[in-house]
Amino acid sequence: MKPKLPTITGIGSVSPLGPAAGLIPLSPLEPSPITAWSTDGMRRAFLVKPFQPASVVPGLKTRRLDRLSAWALVAASLALQDAGIDLNEMDRSRVAVVFATGFGCIELTEAFYQSAFKNGWSGTDPITFPETLANSPAGHVALLHNLRGPNITVSSMNFAGESALLQAASLLRHGQADLAIVMAGDTLTQTIYEWYETANLLSPACFKADTQPEASGYVPGEGVVALVLESAGNREVRSYAHLQTGCWAACGGPLESIRRMLGASVLNLIISAGNGAPCATSSSNGVIGSIAAPGTAILRAQPVALGLTDAGALLHLALALSTKPASGLALMLATAADSGFAALLLELP
Amino acid sequence: MPMTDPRKIVVATGIGVVSPYGIGLASLHDGLLSGKSCLEPAKDIFPGFEGTTATVSELPNFPPTSNARYSRSDRLAMVAAQDAVADFDGQTSFRESGIIMASTVGGLSEIDPGIAQDPAAWYRRGGLARARSYSVARVAASVGEHLDVRGPICAVSVACASGAMAIALGANMLLDGAVPMVFAGGSDALCPFTMSGFNALQSLDRGPCQPFDRNRKGLNIGEGAAVLVLETLAGARARGANVLAVLRGWAMTNDASHPTAPQKQGIGLAQCIDRAMDMAECGVDEIDYVNAHGTGTPLNDIAEANAYELAFRGRNNPVPVSSTKSYFGHCLGSAGSIEAAITISAIRSGAIFPTLRLTDPIESTAVDWARGEVRRQPVSMAMSASVGFGGSNTVLIFANAGSASA
Repeated sequence: MKPKLPTITGIGSVSPLGPAAGLIPLSPLEPSPITAWSTDGMRRAFLVKPFQPASVVPGLKTRRLDRLSAWALVAASLALQDAGIDLNEMDRSRVAVVFATGFGCIELTEAFYQSAFKNGWSGTDPITFPETLANSPAGHVALLHNLRGPNITVSSMNFAGESALLQAASLLRHGQADLAIVMAGDTLTQTIYEWYETANLLSPACFKADTQPEASGYVPGEGVVALVLESAGNREVRSYAHLQTGCWAACGGPLESIRRMLGASVLNLIISAGNGAPCATSSSNGVIGSIAAPGTAILRAQPVALGLTDAGALLHLALALSTKPASGLALMLATAADSGFAALLLELP
Repeated sequence: MPMTDPRKIVVATGIGVVSPYGIGLASLHDGLLSGKSCLEPAKDIFPGFEGTTATVSELPNFPPTSNARYSRSDRLAMVAAQDAVADFDGQTSFRESGIIMASTVGGLSEIDPGIAQDPAAWYRRGGLARARSYSVARVAASVGEHLDVRGPICAVSVACASGAMAIALGANMLLDGAVPMVFAGGSDALCPFTMSGFNALQSLDRGPCQPFDRNRKGLNIGEGAAVLVLETLAGARARGANVLAVLRGWAMTNDASHPTAPQKQGIGLAQCIDRAMDMAECGVDEIDYVNAHGTGTPLNDIAEANAYELAFRGRNNPVPVSSTKSYFGHCLGSAGSIEAAITISAIRSGAIFPTLRLTDPIESTAVDWARGEVRRQPVSMAMSASVGFGGSNTVLIFANAGSASA
């Protein structure tokens, strides 16, 4: 019997395009000027506009949480709503949460360092400390919805989002969960931004308003995307995509692995993802040129998702699905030059 | 019907450890057998700190890569990974392997509070390379660089259940057929950030901790790393590897009860134990030993004792339980992996390491608190339990290597 494929049945997002349940309303997006901290001249990034989480998810309490936790709560709730899930009808001990992040709860980590700077290490804030942990967002999602299945937080250089999606699919495949909320995201703070700036990694578009974000270097971003992943056929619901298979590796080229995954199948769509580094984009283009058949549509990576670097995969995927591509076989490919690749093979209904 | 397909049986073929006893499983095993505690008074963690910790001494240095320097957590992980393959023949290639390494500290030990005042200035003063080690993903990447592993490399960070969860997720990867071999474990270094956090939470015992004792006051923090080399039995046989233990079952659950405190009745952990035993296809009487999470905090230990009451209900005899955190403290993200190594060591040596300083144990009808002398008895199957902030629970069940060929 053919195994049931993990299927994406819900999307929730908190991104620079605003909070959204389901497909993301697409519109041209410019980086926004940074105002959260003082900068030496104009600095821009793909920022999430401030909003009250309770205005999106009524009753949600997020005071004293890192923004990453607050956004995870909003995105997860929107994804569940979009999937039409009634958790009261589910065994919540079989609902997993899998979260991917590059930097974790960096905002409150900075606040904790700030308190140590002011008061010494013996005068830090006990309420802040647990909220600095990378798994706080996933823990809060479990707490809010009483989800008692596996609760996993992963991080991976360049491919954290892909890793989370594949780990979640594995839980479903091995009967360790019936449904998984898969999330990926990061917040942008002064320490992160200034690290990129000091390392000379920023795009000229970070400094000048009339410069395209695709210019060399990249524009940091922030946001959290949540997907509901469940085994196909569990419920009669709309599916955004079936996850057929996937692979990722820290080194080496993807061609051999992709050809093995594809077999004789022909791709209808290639979604280019990745971290946006110029060498990675060039490597990605080379691979795409090798695997694209005549008629294969290609969706180029959007700068807003590139800005999320390690945790951008789910935003890349949500944005691609939001273009309402034709049905068929799709490959989402992210390369990081000599730092490996991630490839997800999806079937679009 | 026990699982017999060698492609679906996960085995450990290598174990690497760095603990306050030194490098190697043998030094950890001998240290536990000796009953020597590594916990010592510490005042130099930060000004004003007075407490008890256990540290790893004489950790080798590794030259930095072109763009990053290795944090102490990275270095602990690299040494443990190297130790895990020390007995491998020189022909074994790790290139296609996967890595899942747990950490909660990552490179926090490399960063000081000055970063929060003026990040750009701090980076210009030399912080750029130090900050690059911040992400916990760097711990896993460091192991990859050290062993030339080129498969999927991933970090897990679920507070104090991280190390055990890395092993569970690594086992899933093997069942998926995604990789032929996985390096799975955890690594965390002592650092002011976490010491300060637990100090602020008033979770620390100033003296040596007393897990499961009625008079327990809190935990001590240690440091270390452990890495298990996992393969399917089919893969291990194909390369003629020495099987050290079988990972018979694993499970992960969440309490969904409180951000930091465990659920008082231990329901989430009990369910995790049930699921791991289901996977291991074993009954409650077949578990010969439980290496407990046993931190020594008032809330953890009672919740954990309650979980064992629930999970081992109906057992003929109380289950032997001990906390080896009483020897070298709580190693946070690496604790679950170090304790997995100890659990395997208990199976292989037939030794149950008692909880130190356990004079007045929590009352329990289901638990036989191992204390006093080392117990010598056959241990065919044993369990390691890990829990953490955020409600995470992970349970691993190991069986002796002989059970793989049964």
